Amino acid sequence: MSAYITVPTPMIDRECLLTALAELGFGAGMVEVHETPVTLRDPFGATAKAHVVVPARHLGAGSDLGFLETPTGIRAQLRGVDGRFRGEWLERLRARHDAHLAAREARLAEERRLAVVEARRAAIVASARRQGYEVRETREQGRVRLVMQRRV
Amino acid sequence: MTVGTPINVAYVLPRSAVNGPGERFTVWVQGCPLACPGCWNRDTWDPAPRLLMTPSELLEQLDATPSVEGVTLTGGEPFEQAAALLPFVEGAVERGLTVFAFSGHELGELVTPAQRALLALVDVLVAGPYRAPLRTTELAWRGSTNQTVHRLSGRGRLLVEPDFACYEVHLDEQGSAAVTGFPPTPTRKALSLA
Repeated sequence: MSAYITVPTPMIDRECLLTALAELGFGAGMVEVHETPVTLRDPFGATAKAHVVVPARHLGAGSDLGFLETPTGIRAQLRGVDGRFRGEWLERLRARHDAHLAAREARLAEERRLAVVEARRAAIVASARRQGYEVRETREQGRVRLVMQRRV
Repeated sequence: MTVGTPINVAYVLPRSAVNGPGERFTVWVQGCPLACPGCWNRDTWDPAPRLLMTPSELLEQLDATPSVEGVTLTGGEPFEQAAALLPFVEGAVERGLTVFAFSGHELGELVTPAQRALLALVDVLVAGPYRAPLRTTELAWRGSTNQTVHRLSGRGRLLVEPDFACYEVHLDEQGSAAVTGFPPTPTRKALSLA
């Protein structure tokens, strides 16, 4: 009996998965991405579905490698007879996925922080100018200093 | 080496342009018994320890702030901690800096030996309680028109009182605002200070 093994992974993000795959040698031109899961190709009749597919021709194998997105995370669809993409390889993939996810979350948090500071700065400057003040602005180590002056 | 009795500090702005002439290292002390109605530094009234800093620690922070023209003492009531502040102010004077101070007391009320010793080092004193009905944003350095600018030294007499009203906002990395100086009422309301 030929079969795919479904391995739950902690991975949750498609974009980070694709970036991680590219870093492990499977770039954009070597990976198919489907909005609805497709059946993986296997010459021996094993069946499994996946959203992200690395076709067999890029693997030097007879069967596709796939990743199925589920509400509880991404599951790797691996052929049981091909051990290359289990264990240590899958762990490297997960580590790279996690690193990209963490970096993106940090980047988004930084963008949100900058947006908050900028909105506050703009409101304070606008209020001061409405009151007839000239505004002098300096920045140092992420801090913004606004000095308002109005002739009396 | 200066160490000295800790000063009860509310906060420090290493660089401010609206608490006296020029760029100034400004120290808000914690604790004020005057409780002027309408004071907008109410969080500095409580005399309980807030941030205890030795004069040496303050001087280290001062030394790490280049190109300031002087130090400013405000609060809270600086002259309630005159003895503790003395070594810090002496250090500032030794560094060639001018000394500017705010007090809610009138000049004639500062009579203890420590207060007189501190006054001897102050170049300009803005004295008098804040009186909300006399609030102004038209005078430099003063929050209400009853307050008086005393030039106590030769250097103090040379310091130019600006002909502009001013205030200053410092936004930290998270967008929290620290405001100093004398902002107009609409701005105070916008910053939730009024």
